[in-house]
Amino acid sequence: MPDLLFSQNYFEIFSLDVSTHPDLNKLNENNRELQRLVHPDKFANSDESEKRQAMQKTSLINQAFNTLKDPVLRLQYMLSLKGIDMNGETDTAMDGGFLMEQMELREKIADVRTQADPLEELDAITKTLKTTSKNLIAEFDQNFQDDALDKSREVVRKLQFINKAQKEVAELSEQIEDELL
Amino acid sequence: MALLQISEPGQSTKPHEHKFAIGIDLGTTNSLVASVRSGKADTLADTNGQHILPSVVQYAADSILVGQQAKDNQVADSQNTISSIKRLMGRGISDLKLLGDNLPYAFAETESSVPRIKTAAGDKTAVEISADILKVLKQRGELTLGDKLEGAVITVPAYFDDAQRQATKDAARLAGINVLRLLNEPTAAAVAYGLDSGAEGVVAVYDLGGGTFDVSIMQLKQGVFEVLSTGGDSALGGDDFDHAIAEWIIAQAGLNANDLSAGTLRLVLQEACTAKENLSEQNQSEITIKFDESQTWFGTLTRDIFHDLIDPMIKKTLMSCRRALRDADIEKDQVMDVVMVGGSTRALRVRELVGEFFDVQPRVDIDPDRVVAIGAAIQANALAGNDPDGNLLLMDVLPLSLGIETMGGLAEKIIQRNTPIPVSRAQDFTTYKDGQTAMAVHIVQGERELIDDCRSLARFELRGFPPHVAGSARIRVTFQVDADGLLSVTAKEENSGVEASVEVKPSYGLQDSEIESMLKASMEFAGEDKDARSLREQQVEADRVLEAIDSAMADDADEMLSEDEKTLILEARGKLQIARHQAKDAQELKAEMAHLEKVSAEYVARRMNASVQKTMAGHKVEEFNND
Repeated sequence: MPDLLFSQNYFEIFSLDVSTHPDLNKLNENNRELQRLVHPDKFANSDESEKRQAMQKTSLINQAFNTLKDPVLRLQYMLSLKGIDMNGETDTAMDGGFLMEQMELREKIADVRTQADPLEELDAITKTLKTTSKNLIAEFDQNFQDDALDKSREVVRKLQFINKAQKEVAELSEQIEDELL
Repeated sequence: MALLQISEPGQSTKPHEHKFAIGIDLGTTNSLVASVRSGKADTLADTNGQHILPSVVQYAADSILVGQQAKDNQVADSQNTISSIKRLMGRGISDLKLLGDNLPYAFAETESSVPRIKTAAGDKTAVEISADILKVLKQRGELTLGDKLEGAVITVPAYFDDAQRQATKDAARLAGINVLRLLNEPTAAAVAYGLDSGAEGVVAVYDLGGGTFDVSIMQLKQGVFEVLSTGGDSALGGDDFDHAIAEWIIAQAGLNANDLSAGTLRLVLQEACTAKENLSEQNQSEITIKFDESQTWFGTLTRDIFHDLIDPMIKKTLMSCRRALRDADIEKDQVMDVVMVGGSTRALRVRELVGEFFDVQPRVDIDPDRVVAIGAAIQANALAGNDPDGNLLLMDVLPLSLGIETMGGLAEKIIQRNTPIPVSRAQDFTTYKDGQTAMAVHIVQGERELIDDCRSLARFELRGFPPHVAGSARIRVTFQVDADGLLSVTAKEENSGVEASVEVKPSYGLQDSEIESMLKASMEFAGEDKDARSLREQQVEADRVLEAIDSAMADDADEMLSEDEKTLILEARGKLQIARHQAKDAQELKAEMAHLEKVSAEYVARRMNASVQKTMAGHKVEEFNND
């Protein structure tokens, strides 16, 4: 079993450069290659200690993969490499313009059921959110490169907001679909 | 004797030894067992040439019937003949209502949260009944392969929660099966399909069985089967089609289900099932049911009526498909193939609506009944170590989010659904009272916000951490989901480093002690005594010892042993070989093993030294000190 891992950061595990846009093909490819070496299925005949190691290492790889695959978790992780832990954060200040936009969007979501085709409306909102998210990641990129960490952190906060809205829209879509049955 | 098995890193001691392993599809309606023989995976037949074993068990006071015969007796002896038991796996008494009021069994009054069905052979849990099915399949495997089994891969619906998976594993344990892995049914199907077709790309597996529905979105690439997402309903299947038809028949006949006997209900269900099957071939099906001497009902089930009855259920499955696609972040047009699995995909209406949804012609060219068992056999073969250079790798996900109860009855998710497994998450807790040394963590599974809407899995009681002032203790609880999708919990007080003991109280599962006593009872029932069991254990051990010594001597006996030493060891080996087959009790066999170990002790020591020297050759001593 390869020794690696526990001291490496998530990007290093997959031989990637620290970046907001890592090579996702390489991430997938290297994930598969690593799993081939450490997955518990490869140690079904080994002793308990090797089995446990295989499970722990695969768990770590999965955790790393999951983090890097998700655009927001990825940025959050990049900040944590710079010593900024955003878990359990209480300070959530954001600029007013952004908040206004979000309020309007929330109202739109709340009103969606009164629309002729709520599902189509939700699809449109999803598209808008995707664009916003893309722009924010670009903004993070710039700030992070300039080492403007506070600004970077604020962008991640906004992204978390957008992310949450995206999830809510998805869940609402599911609910409406269920009701249409 | 373990020392004899020293080998170079990356090298197996016994490259050509074949170990027998089976794949078991423990289905709601039917079960199958398969294995890889001469490089080819296939299902195994019973002595009558039948591959499919109906998952039906009939209990009499002193005998158990499993399979077709039991199924044939279902109407005549409906109280003692149990079918579709998979629906009750990992379920509690409170779930029985949800599963429909028309379960034709009598349930025993019990203190436990696990329902027990009254039969002529005593009260039986779903775990015990499933174990009786598994025993028959295991035996079939042993008879066909003519050797002891290394173990089995048992398939479960991808959408099974932790309690249902644990119940399946418990049943296997009760049946005396070493579980190599619990494998998700759609993943198993994809293995059989993918290896057969050499397909690469994104595939959706639509698996509608007798009692469960699963959909998995998978990426196939160079022997790696990576599940991107999974969805489904562990209480929806072809059985529900039968029930819908049965209800329709009863309503058409102007009767009320509550007034009918268990036997009559069973008869109506069988007729409903036959009518359903006919509609895969014909446009309509004639039904005749003799309710009693004075009332016989004739009717016609047309495809149109049938579609009206089942369309809502199929639409429900498509909703799960849509959700799974969204979770996988895959668009419909990226799906290259839709593989249809499970007997219920024989219904033409299912194929039609699934094809419409994905806008592809679903693949129905593989046998939907056998494909899951075959995939399981392929993985069992790989896990047993028969394919060391193989490319096969299955990467699966957690089907339902895991959470813990927080203030106000809310569920806080700790591991999201569709996270690749194995996975672990740590969470810190603190105490809220001075001197507190124990705490309870309530684990739930599901997607809803409220605890009551999720499925309660277990309450973990953590004990034995040192007393602290309220709020200053830091108890790190680690939730680990293994490759079977099963959760375990460990806890440690971070300030002191003290490991807390974790006591699990499963909400719907059997306690370890209950399983132990079932194991005992089932052994008594089978007429096995402890002596026979321990002799068998020693025989297995003797086989291992013989294998180890043979393989070691084949490697290096000539270099490491003098002729005299060799003779001595071979003599002891010969005696053990004879005792392996002739010894009447475990002690006798043990003595021979001890003798062989004694005469080969020196040889073991030499091999070990040689192995260490070889590994260290070319390295400096310092390098080894750092480890």
